[in-house]
Amino acid sequence: MKLHPHAVRASVVIAATALVLSGCRSSSDSGSGSSPGISDEPCPQAVNKDNGCISLGVISDLTKGPFAPLAVPITDAQKAFWKKVNEDGGVGGYDIDVTSNIADAEYNPEIHNRKYQEMRKDILALGQTLGSSQTLAILEDMKSDDVIGLPASWNSAWEFEDQILESGANYCFEAMNGVDWAVAKRGVKGTVVAVGYPGDYGGDAAAGVEAAAKANNLKFEKIETPAGQDNQAGAIAAILKQKPALVVVTTGPAEMATIVGGAASQGFTGTFVGSSPTWNPALLKSPAAPALEKLYFQAGPWGPFGTDTPGHQAMRDALGDVTPNDGYTAGWVWSYPLLAALKKADADGGITRESLVAAAKELTEVDYEDMLPAEAGATKGEPSEVAFRSSVISKVDKTAPTGVAIEQELTTGPTAEAYDFSKPCFSLQ
Amino acid sequence: MTDFLQAIVNGFSQGSIYALLALGYVMIYKATRVISFAQPALMIVGGLFSYHFTSELGLPFWVGMALGIVCGAVVGMIVERLALRPMLGKPVFTLAIITIGVDIVLRIISNRYIGVQSRIIDYPNGSDRVSVGGVSISQQRIGLIAVTTVAVIALALFFRYSRTGLAMRATALDQETALAQGIRVGAVFALAWAIAGGLAAIAGTFVAAGNAGIEQTSWIIALKALPAIIIGGLDSVQGAVIGGLAVGIVEALTATFQPDVAPWLGANFSLVAPYALMFVVLLVRPYGLFGTKEVERV
Repeated sequence: MKLHPHAVRASVVIAATALVLSGCRSSSDSGSGSSPGISDEPCPQAVNKDNGCISLGVISDLTKGPFAPLAVPITDAQKAFWKKVNEDGGVGGYDIDVTSNIADAEYNPEIHNRKYQEMRKDILALGQTLGSSQTLAILEDMKSDDVIGLPASWNSAWEFEDQILESGANYCFEAMNGVDWAVAKRGVKGTVVAVGYPGDYGGDAAAGVEAAAKANNLKFEKIETPAGQDNQAGAIAAILKQKPALVVVTTGPAEMATIVGGAASQGFTGTFVGSSPTWNPALLKSPAAPALEKLYFQAGPWGPFGTDTPGHQAMRDALGDVTPNDGYTAGWVWSYPLLAALKKADADGGITRESLVAAAKELTEVDYEDMLPAEAGATKGEPSEVAFRSSVISKVDKTAPTGVAIEQELTTGPTAEAYDFSKPCFSLQ
Repeated sequence: MTDFLQAIVNGFSQGSIYALLALGYVMIYKATRVISFAQPALMIVGGLFSYHFTSELGLPFWVGMALGIVCGAVVGMIVERLALRPMLGKPVFTLAIITIGVDIVLRIISNRYIGVQSRIIDYPNGSDRVSVGGVSISQQRIGLIAVTTVAVIALALFFRYSRTGLAMRATALDQETALAQGIRVGAVFALAWAIAGGLAAIAGTFVAAGNAGIEQTSWIIALKALPAIIIGGLDSVQGAVIGGLAVGIVEALTATFQPDVAPWLGANFSLVAPYALMFVVLLVRPYGLFGTKEVERV
């Protein structure tokens, strides 16, 4: 068996390309039906057989994307949330079906768009659309379809979109609050570096870091880093070179642990504040764990899984015996505004896509069962007036259910408080 | 100077992973003239075996890794016997494509085990550091370099002094002549795959013992061993080691110095630096630094 070496080398390149592409490929689900997502027929496996059925779509990252460790529990929590709503009688004579239209988009905008096209005629609203660029890829279609969606992301642009019903402080305010907290509580001075994925997730947080740096007289630097634990050498080298007092990280958990562990192993002792998606309790088993315990703090939109509020308790009761994960917490909290909008639409004359869009724009409060204050769900008014700006700061705690415990309760820092939020912090492309 | 030395140390340790994987590629290529694209999956499978033995069954790290290596080797042999042996005599391009299929199948199975969590092996005192003159390295990375060194030396001794190693070298030179001399070429193929599986398992174990563990996307790490084998030479064991280390070191040096020295190359140029090195080497030495120059009679 002999082949010319040039041919062998060519086969290496071709096959490597095929391998990479195989990692990006997905199977496609077949779309079906043409209903607008609301029916007088009972839902599949209906809790209330006499109720009609509202179908919600879910487009998530359930297998191989960077946020799958969070997205799976997010989706499970949303199933539990709507199951509980159904057990409580449903909404306006309808049960909510959030299980029939679940799609895995692998954190890929193209796949995300394809999955939406497959389900757009079958759903009343999106119970989850994960990712900023991913949601942006379907936003125009959502508008033309009168479909609202719950974003599994915290981009500041969502405050300016009627179709998007967000919860909690966005990445931009979260980063501001993280910097303000670090300045006040960790004595940060000098340089602050924002390390994040290129694009909207990293960019939104970096804009918040930059604003907070300016407000606190810190020098600001930005480092864009790609996904992949083996691709963080550049970010680590840059941190070690610039020796900032504070690093704000907006990546996935694997990248965050690689950066924190790698920098700390070479003597870096500065503070790291990660946005909420950077944490995964499994990291406590890694060699980075001591560094995480010492240097890492999480800025999050609400209290973690084990927090003592009626909403957290309802979530834990509904989920039963699961391994604690703050993906559950996020999925549960995000669902409250849609429930509130459905109730308002029903009260205003009946649930349709159009009435739901109208109701979603007119919310003055949402009952989050104390997981967030009711005013956090307000959508009626200008974003600068109603945007929720408070964040929780948590620290690593091995004894806590999800490995993090609250260090500072929901607080709006001075930068976020004073920020002129007349446009998104980072413009989505 | 400290930055330079630190980058060398970082690159050397990361390059050890690439070197182990590159050795696996070369082992299979030397024996069968086939580039195995199943190495990424073998790395993940081996790492998951080690993870299971250590983190799930509670065995000590070194015992778990030893068992993981054995299991990785067995998986390599099974792949050779079931997927490659029946295709013996077919064009090597066909066999290479089959290895892609094997890679996908193994990764799908592995992904079911991995699920959505990181699979992280607790390396004993893995985060403890050793510092010399301002240059530091973690215990986990020292372990990786030590194990890689032992593996490379053991392989060299095996090829130099054992009869089986001699048989593998003979088969690599000329399969038909080796067959005529009574060498069981099929067994040599199986052994090459077993060694490749074992080496990939070592790499996978240390990926799992790293800061982020093994995730469903971790297999991409193994693709960086491809420029390593092109740089070192497709059929050279020492070339695989040097190529792997070169990739790691070039990556680390570029990450440390390129933003200052050549910022016009853009952010994260370190990711493509190994491929740039590969093209430079190919221009100067088309068969790689240590590859055998093929002479064909016309």
